[in-house]
Amino acid sequence: MFPTMTAPTAPARRPILQLVGVRKSFGGFHAVQGIDLDVREGEFLTIVGPSGSGKTTLLRMLAGMDSPSEGNITLHGERINDVPPNKRPTCLVFQSLALFPHKSVGENIAFPLKVKGVDAAARKARALELMAIVRLPETYHDKNVMKCSGGERQRVALARALAYDPEVLFFDEPLSAIDYKLKKTLEKELKDLHRETGKTFIYITHSLEEAMVMSDRIGVMRAGKLVQVGTPEEIYGAPVDRFVCEFVGEVNSIEVTRGADGGWSGVDVSGAFKVQPPQGIAEAGAPDRAFIVIRPEYMRVLGPGESADNRVEGVVYNEYSLGSRIQYQVRVNARDGGEKVMLVELSRARALPAGAEPRVTLGWDATDAFTLRG
Amino acid sequence: MTHRRTHALIWIWTLFVVAVVYLPIACGALASFNKSRYFGFPVKAYATDWWEKTLDSIEIGMIVRNSILIALLVTVLSVLIATFGALAFARYDWKGRRLYQKLIMLPIFFPQPVLGLAMLLGFSAVGIQTSWMTAVFAHLVWVVPVVTLVIAIQVYGFDPSLEEAAIDLGCSRLQVLREVTLPLLWPGIWSGMLFAFLLSWSNFPLSLYTAGADSTIPKWLYAKMVAGYTPMVPALGTMATLGAAALLLTGGLVGILVRRRTAS
Repeated sequence: MFPTMTAPTAPARRPILQLVGVRKSFGGFHAVQGIDLDVREGEFLTIVGPSGSGKTTLLRMLAGMDSPSEGNITLHGERINDVPPNKRPTCLVFQSLALFPHKSVGENIAFPLKVKGVDAAARKARALELMAIVRLPETYHDKNVMKCSGGERQRVALARALAYDPEVLFFDEPLSAIDYKLKKTLEKELKDLHRETGKTFIYITHSLEEAMVMSDRIGVMRAGKLVQVGTPEEIYGAPVDRFVCEFVGEVNSIEVTRGADGGWSGVDVSGAFKVQPPQGIAEAGAPDRAFIVIRPEYMRVLGPGESADNRVEGVVYNEYSLGSRIQYQVRVNARDGGEKVMLVELSRARALPAGAEPRVTLGWDATDAFTLRG
Repeated sequence: MTHRRTHALIWIWTLFVVAVVYLPIACGALASFNKSRYFGFPVKAYATDWWEKTLDSIEIGMIVRNSILIALLVTVLSVLIATFGALAFARYDWKGRRLYQKLIMLPIFFPQPVLGLAMLLGFSAVGIQTSWMTAVFAHLVWVVPVVTLVIAIQVYGFDPSLEEAAIDLGCSRLQVLREVTLPLLWPGIWSGMLFAFLLSWSNFPLSLYTAGADSTIPKWLYAKMVAGYTPMVPALGTMATLGAAALLLTGGLVGILVRRRTAS
């Protein structure tokens, strides 16, 4: 009756869900503006984006609660645009979790089985099995679900979704209201569960940190469009534009133009910079604009005699502890006479000594920075 | 010291309010135990004669049956209409909802004698003979809005994603209603039922105009006060009040017991 959960042997990488030109408009508002995406069977895909980027609308279309205004969604090659949620082999874990307050933990978990007409004894057996999988004690079976803690409720919601035995599980920011430490634990558990069940997980969040920890692939959304899809390493290491780059974390950016001689010079910070040419900007030809982006952890404080491809002088005026690392805010002179703040992150072992001279020289090599089109 | 004085003041005020509200009811009860046929205080001799006569009266038996029948029908029909009406009122977004929200509330604020008269005129205009059945209709016009409001309050406290989750987990529309919507609306429906029964049970102006030759308890009490007073009037009045109080008490207890059972 129930499929057993076995660890998948090398997950098949064929697409399970395909989106082609999916759009969704509400009146004149275009929430989702043309999305093409192949979701591979068994992968953990996270869609990340700021609020209002259309990620929840996208998820609701995948789950069948809304249908696309245009485009197609196919599951195993079959068009499912207008298939209602109760006829789809998919299940959504809601942001609010949507646990039934008038049912016990066990009744909540066994709910999809009751709907299918499974008898009470089999329902209870399966509920207990699922409770073990999500690490809920057996004694919770008859507990009022409203008396459970936040983390326990997460587990009940997860077990209930698994009881439906969906091929694809959707998550709409279920961890957003959980405190940091518990969130870290639940993220790891979810990742383990993904591996153990071998099911396809599609997760939505505004927190890139969450996405980085759990996902096989991440899709970054902005204003109804998927800006970039890739592994966490690709998103972090090779962002396609400034939006993705800044979304992924705090960055230093310097606007540069290319002179007639082919060299790059700063627009907002004076100086000549050695850069890796951005993709799509011709090696020779008319001057062009670009941004150099340096992550704070790649920025160095140069000691006497140390060299780097690029250097900027500045004054340290603030420091923050980030736990194992320290972030320094450094004022550098901007070209228009104002000041620009650059961020430098150093490990504690390399921290600037207390009472050190606040004048520093920042440096980075061209290979440690990205160059993005202006 | 000041704390004790405030405490004493609160007590005195509370007792005063309770006395003002309940003393007239007690007076009615006292008048019904008067041995004499005529109304007068202080009561010279007490007896339960008029209570016995009231309980034995065939006429009063019929009137009580009318009142119960009307109230029961009003309860069932109004809760049916109001439950779905409340979902339309508070849960679903549809064109014209705001207008509906205002229109459905209006009958509560119409003066009931005017509403009753209007309906009497309406019934005779279309040639319907007034009876207890037309009184049921008239009560519904006034009770449905109240019950809709009572149930709508429950609907507002209901997370709409619960129904979506139920569908997502495989439920049909009917299963959602049975497994999620109705159980969660149950406290509101239960209070709505009590409201409906009691509002119909005690309604006088609408029954006066629209019940035709059939009488209800309030209508009979009024008629006998106008002409033919006996202590059966306060006796039946007291019985009706006690009946309503008992119903309310039972309703409250059932509510508490059900909540306790689901909570454990």
